[in-house]
Amino acid sequence: MTNDSAAALADAHAANTHHAHAMHTPEARARRIGEVILDVQNITLRFGGVVANSNVSFDIRKGEIRAIIGPNGAGKSSMLNVINGFYHPQEGTITWKGKARAKMQPHEAAATGIARTFQNIALFRGMSTLDNIMTGRVTKMKRGLLAHALHWGPALKEEIEHRSFVEQVIDFLEIQHIRNVPVGRLPYGLQKRVELGRALAAEPELLLLDEPMAGMNLEEKEDMSRFILDVNDEFGTTIALIEHDMGVVMDLSDRVVVLDHGSKIADGTHEEVQGDQRVIDAYLGVAHDDEEEA
Amino acid sequence: MNPDVLFFFETVISGLMAGVMYALVALGFVLIFKASGVFNFAQGVLALFAALTLTGVMEKFGLPAWAGIIVTILVMIAVAWLIERLVLQHLVNQEPIILFMATIGLAYVIEGTGDILWGSNVKVLDIGLPQGASDFLLDNYNLYVEKLEIVAAVTSAILVAVLAVFFQKTRIGRALRAVADDHQAALSVGISLRTIWVVVWSVAGIVALVAGIMWGTKSGVQFSLSLIALKALPVLILGGFTSIPGAIVGGLIIGVGEKIAEIYAGPIIGGAIENWFAYMLALAFLLFRPQGLFGEKIIERV
Repeated sequence: MTNDSAAALADAHAANTHHAHAMHTPEARARRIGEVILDVQNITLRFGGVVANSNVSFDIRKGEIRAIIGPNGAGKSSMLNVINGFYHPQEGTITWKGKARAKMQPHEAAATGIARTFQNIALFRGMSTLDNIMTGRVTKMKRGLLAHALHWGPALKEEIEHRSFVEQVIDFLEIQHIRNVPVGRLPYGLQKRVELGRALAAEPELLLLDEPMAGMNLEEKEDMSRFILDVNDEFGTTIALIEHDMGVVMDLSDRVVVLDHGSKIADGTHEEVQGDQRVIDAYLGVAHDDEEEA
Repeated sequence: MNPDVLFFFETVISGLMAGVMYALVALGFVLIFKASGVFNFAQGVLALFAALTLTGVMEKFGLPAWAGIIVTILVMIAVAWLIERLVLQHLVNQEPIILFMATIGLAYVIEGTGDILWGSNVKVLDIGLPQGASDFLLDNYNLYVEKLEIVAAVTSAILVAVLAVFFQKTRIGRALRAVADDHQAALSVGISLRTIWVVVWSVAGIVALVAGIMWGTKSGVQFSLSLIALKALPVLILGGFTSIPGAIVGGLIIGVGEKIAEIYAGPIIGGAIENWFAYMLALAFLLFRPQGLFGEKIIERV
């Protein structure tokens, strides 16, 4: 499947009535999904002799939930790291919001509206939930450092405004009870939620979630799925997520891109990719040496 | 007043004052440790370099003290920028031990640069700070206290207050703590590590300048100044590596402790206790309270 058929896919999705959540009707979602916001073309990422991504192309449309799946070592996390600027691919182009993006540092990517969570939770462990989520507002703060240091009028007002936004995020994620607890002390599931909160506080246009449900029990997974859908629904946030749980992927995603051994092997709705022989082979571990590009 | 009691007070006060001096150096360590999780071996050398630069610009260009201080602050900011540019930038996400090793190298480079620029002879630093005993205390209470030490204490108090507000109350303070906790995560929320590091090394450089002025005024600007960094180590173990108040309290405890031990235990178990007391105390702390008095207890989930 190529990018050319992406529009067709979106239409196809409109006809798709398979969805677990009644409020997220396919029609509503199809209406919401818009233009391509991120276009990744021919990305090749190498670490010395190891090829992490090989000639990978796909796009992400505004307002959709895009899943990136694949077996372990398929290059999924590398791809997220390329998108948010941690890694710089040797080849390929990334077009973000219609502009071809030069080599971009992570904090610059954050400033242009890309937020993320990590596979292994990367929170500021010594800081409270509230402070962690407040750091998500960094890119939104305008007043100078000196003004902040002095708690000078407008800076104080700005701090209060940001604080009230963060309180909304906390309410939304239902974590009021842990707002002053240092996150290092929280159980795993809640830490994941705080990390999502920090990403949301940045009001991102593109939210990258690296295995948001890894290591969670069923109840926690359901909560997290609901939050992800609500974020997408209420704020129209575009989401790209890596996930291993196929049930979750089916429930959440509009389109799925499948990576294996660093290369893209399928792209489409989950029904389409599920039926794809190469995907089945990749997951069942059938020898596929003849297909390797690297 | 009973001369014995008076003597005890003098001992304690001179200990407190020495402690303030240790604390000033320890403060620079805490700042950098908080912001980057790095034990900056070069902090003592920074203090030396700052003092050398100050005497250098005052002598060579005949600048008045205030202008010399401003020039030196600018130089320290430039040094911070260079350190970020040439060293730290290339070590993002490396293990703390690697950054620590880098600061050891840095210490020698800065020391050598200071030597080349300003020469290695002992210099007198006089920016007009009051010297000698405080007449007021001597006349009224018969206490012998150096004026310089009083100035050092007041300066430290102000410095600590400003830094505490800076770290706890401001957005950049929050960003600093975030960077200290997790580089990658800090980058992902849009904090520029480079800016943070330049800021924190600049602040550490300015704190080093204050320490350099106090020590330099007291005992001349000489290369042994960089060795006071060694005394800061037990201070940090006592106070906790991440705590600004801890650096102060740790400094005071060690300052007072070693003076009292020297004077009262010295005659019994032999002199020169001052030289090892701090390290023994640090050792005891490492055994019973490794996070120090005010440090953050690290709980690792396994």
